[in-house]
Amino acid sequence: MGIRSWLDRRRLDEDDFQEEMRAHLAIAADERMADGADASSARLASRKDFGNLTLTTEAARRVWSPWWLEALRDLWSDVRYAIRGLAKNPAFSLVVVGVLTLGIALNAAVFTMLKGMALSPLAGVDRSSRLVVICGETGAGRQLRVSYPDYKYLRDHDAAFSDLMASTVVTAGLGRGPSSRSIWSELVTGNYFRVLGVRAERGRTLLPSDETAPSGHPVVVLSDGLWRRDFGADPDIVGTTVEINHYPFTVVGVADPAFHGTIVSYDIEMFIPVTMAAELGVYGGLAPTTSSELLADRRAALLFPHGYLRPGTTLANAAAQTDALWATLSNDRPLTDARQRLALVPFWRSPTGGQTYLLPTLVVLSAMGLLVLLIACANIAGLMLVRGVSRRGEIAVRLALGAARTRIVRLLVVETLVLALPGAVLGVLLAARGIPVFVSYADWLAAPQRLFFNIDLDRLVIGFAVAVACGAALVFGFVPALRSSRIDLASAMNEDSSPRGTAPDRLRTSLVIAQVAVSLLLLVGAGLVARSLEAARSANPGFDASHVSAIALDLRQGGYDDGRGRTFFRHLLDAVRADPEVEAASLGTFNPMNLIETPARRVAIEGYEPRRGEDVAFMSNTVGADYFRTLRIALLSGRPFAERDDEHAAPVVIVNGTFAERFWGGVANAVGKRLRVGDSEWRTVVGVAADVKYLRISEAARPYVYLPFRQEYRSSMILYTRGSAPVQSLVDRARARVASLDVNLPVLYARPLAERVSSALVFFKLASAMLFIFGIAGMALAAMGTYGLVSYTVRQSTHEIGIRMALGASGLSVVRAFLVRGVRLGAIGAAVGVVAALALTRLLGSVLYGVSATDGASFTRALVVVLGGVVVATLIPAWRAARTDPLRALRHQ
Amino acid sequence: MTLHSSRPDARTDLLHGTLDMLILRTLQWGPQHGYAIGQTIRAQSSDVLQVEAGSLYPALQRLAKKSWVTAKWGQTSANQRAKFYRITPDGRKQLLREESRWTELVTAIGRIMKPSLLRDNEE
Repeated sequence: MGIRSWLDRRRLDEDDFQEEMRAHLAIAADERMADGADASSARLASRKDFGNLTLTTEAARRVWSPWWLEALRDLWSDVRYAIRGLAKNPAFSLVVVGVLTLGIALNAAVFTMLKGMALSPLAGVDRSSRLVVICGETGAGRQLRVSYPDYKYLRDHDAAFSDLMASTVVTAGLGRGPSSRSIWSELVTGNYFRVLGVRAERGRTLLPSDETAPSGHPVVVLSDGLWRRDFGADPDIVGTTVEINHYPFTVVGVADPAFHGTIVSYDIEMFIPVTMAAELGVYGGLAPTTSSELLADRRAALLFPHGYLRPGTTLANAAAQTDALWATLSNDRPLTDARQRLALVPFWRSPTGGQTYLLPTLVVLSAMGLLVLLIACANIAGLMLVRGVSRRGEIAVRLALGAARTRIVRLLVVETLVLALPGAVLGVLLAARGIPVFVSYADWLAAPQRLFFNIDLDRLVIGFAVAVACGAALVFGFVPALRSSRIDLASAMNEDSSPRGTAPDRLRTSLVIAQVAVSLLLLVGAGLVARSLEAARSANPGFDASHVSAIALDLRQGGYDDGRGRTFFRHLLDAVRADPEVEAASLGTFNPMNLIETPARRVAIEGYEPRRGEDVAFMSNTVGADYFRTLRIALLSGRPFAERDDEHAAPVVIVNGTFAERFWGGVANAVGKRLRVGDSEWRTVVGVAADVKYLRISEAARPYVYLPFRQEYRSSMILYTRGSAPVQSLVDRARARVASLDVNLPVLYARPLAERVSSALVFFKLASAMLFIFGIAGMALAAMGTYGLVSYTVRQSTHEIGIRMALGASGLSVVRAFLVRGVRLGAIGAAVGVVAALALTRLLGSVLYGVSATDGASFTRALVVVLGGVVVATLIPAWRAARTDPLRALRHQ
Repeated sequence: MTLHSSRPDARTDLLHGTLDMLILRTLQWGPQHGYAIGQTIRAQSSDVLQVEAGSLYPALQRLAKKSWVTAKWGQTSANQRAKFYRITPDGRKQLLREESRWTELVTAIGRIMKPSLLRDNEE
């Protein structure tokens, strides 16, 4: 017997049943006619006798259908009823849906970003959030890459991992001439694709056999995007040769279209075996050398190993195993500048990638997003409560007619869900439109390199939005629904809706307190952020980026060796300095306010014995003569670098003020002291430069070292020119000079320095702006809600006001009574808010600058605004109530 | 007797059971159609129990679902088409169970309502 016929057998035969009913009526009519009635009245009488035919059929149908089908049918009728009811009240419904849409859009957008950073950070990689990263960690908590020999040792001996791959990110020039482009690439080990489970779309992925011949096996796997954009999706790409940094590489494959590398927020476009590191100019912090020497050197901080833990291994477990391995390794072959230990971190805490600076902000943002949603819920709960009161009559009638309490509650919950789900859908749509705006902005900042965020609106996001909407519906719908179902029938039927004689309404009171508290919290947050933005804007970064152009070049990408590179830079500087519009020009390796951490190098100071475990590695910059004048960095003492500080002259160095203070007790003592950077010879300090914001505006002062370019050649340099001409023309002219010297050399970027620097501020500004918007939106919502609830309470008490005034109370005393009540609630709420703010604003620490998280002014301002709002929200309705005629107030019900 | 069958809860279960028992009892003397069942119950209770169509037909569906009755179209003595219900062997067993349950119930209620009478009978 088929399932279909079984189902049929289990169902009422509708036609047969109707025929049976007709037969029943016919027999009954015949019988009446036999008793002497005429045909039509007999039919009418039997029809009347029968009762309700539809209800009978329904009852018969119900005998057959399973209970859940019935429940579903009931639910559907509830949904229809709810939609009808809400359609009758469009203003209420629109306000609720609108408030929810906003709240959910904010949360969905932040959640999507969080998902792309932490929950599923790598597109095209299964379980990417479960990847574990190994990094070296100094006593000061600075994270370092791991050398290739150490990686290999860990890969072969660490039983905690099922397999270990390793990679590092590098920019490389692809092609030659004007069409050449600087793109982000990953240097990877041979098992990289196997560990990640990424397949090749065309050709093959890299294999362990590609990792065997240092410098001798130049192969590359392209990303799908690069293959489509730069090679027109050439079907015969595999086997062709491309030039990377003017070095020929054979394309062996194209990676899966979904895959964008393992550096969060970077769109990695080429994957190259780590055995070609030196050819790509990666030396792991050592002096330039060959790939085979680099790969054998344990001091070269080269790679971050990644892997999945074996099933059943916890992170703590794995860390213990790795620690033990590291101890063995350090005993067998001690390193001179041994790292303190190896740390295992989950992928979302990986030391590279966009999540390092985006995650803290996102966490704060999501907390604020939830607060805004909470306020929205409290708001809607208030609306529902008021509406519930006006529906008391309807609900009482239903209860009196025998509706079960659960049935009423279900109806009200269905109503809130009918409101919440459109909010979820619209919220997701709004987020979907908003996110690309943010991404295109970030993309513009990153050009010419490409960004990639794994922020598809997938099932996870939609599930999140629906869950949030349902949670919100429960919060704002369920409590009022429960209350509505607990109506005193007699009084409700008698249309007496005044709260006379009932205890003070605790739910409404607590809603007011909660809203005041949360709005204070958000206002404090917004105030802190506003003050911090102000501080950041007026902060002195220590240099002047206006009227400076920055053109970044990497001579390796043009195939230059060191000797030719030095000549090129000398000619380039001569050429730009000859331009009458250029006041000053120089070179530097890293921009100030670089945002991204630059490598730190060990510094040995003559006569200074570092404490055990003290981290004496500092960031450094290799700069040309005239650097400090070009960027207008003040020189506190001594002299700047000059052209005569070349490879034949005595080695010199310049330190910053913090360095001088820390090691020699002051700027004045520094000049003439000696130090070593890395493994180089002793250098004499010739000057002390003022501190600059090296990475971001909010950073703490840090020691910093400058080395002269002519004594420490770097192939990757930024050319700066300063002049009074419009900065864009400075950029264009400098760019033209580069092209006139070598038309084939790719330019990494050519931008006004101010623009480059502001991109370091961008995440800070973006985060601050969003926090401010969240704060203001939440505050506005909360103010509205508080006003609504307080004025509603006052309105409800019109009757009481009438009695008071009839008994001789003056209008003023009535107003005072309400004001005292309102301010008492406001004060309780504000107190709760202050306590919460004191506890929570510390979270803001990572995004605040120049203002303490417990800043008194911000707290005072927020308190004044919130309490003022409460007073106004109380005063207006109370005043109105006091002016009503006592007689009318008494009749008001 | 007015029966509604809108909600299946404990209260109506008792009533359902009783109506089912009455229908099965009526069918013991031979197949009958719905209208006749209603009329028979009414006549035998001297017009005290009036079974509405709204209760009767859902009850018949319930019995058919449990296979205590079977239904078949036929002709009445007045030559009209009607659906005739016939009790099955399972239905007869159910009737016996219902009868004993009902007797128990009546006795129990009787003990409460008329204690002296019953005690006299028992003696």
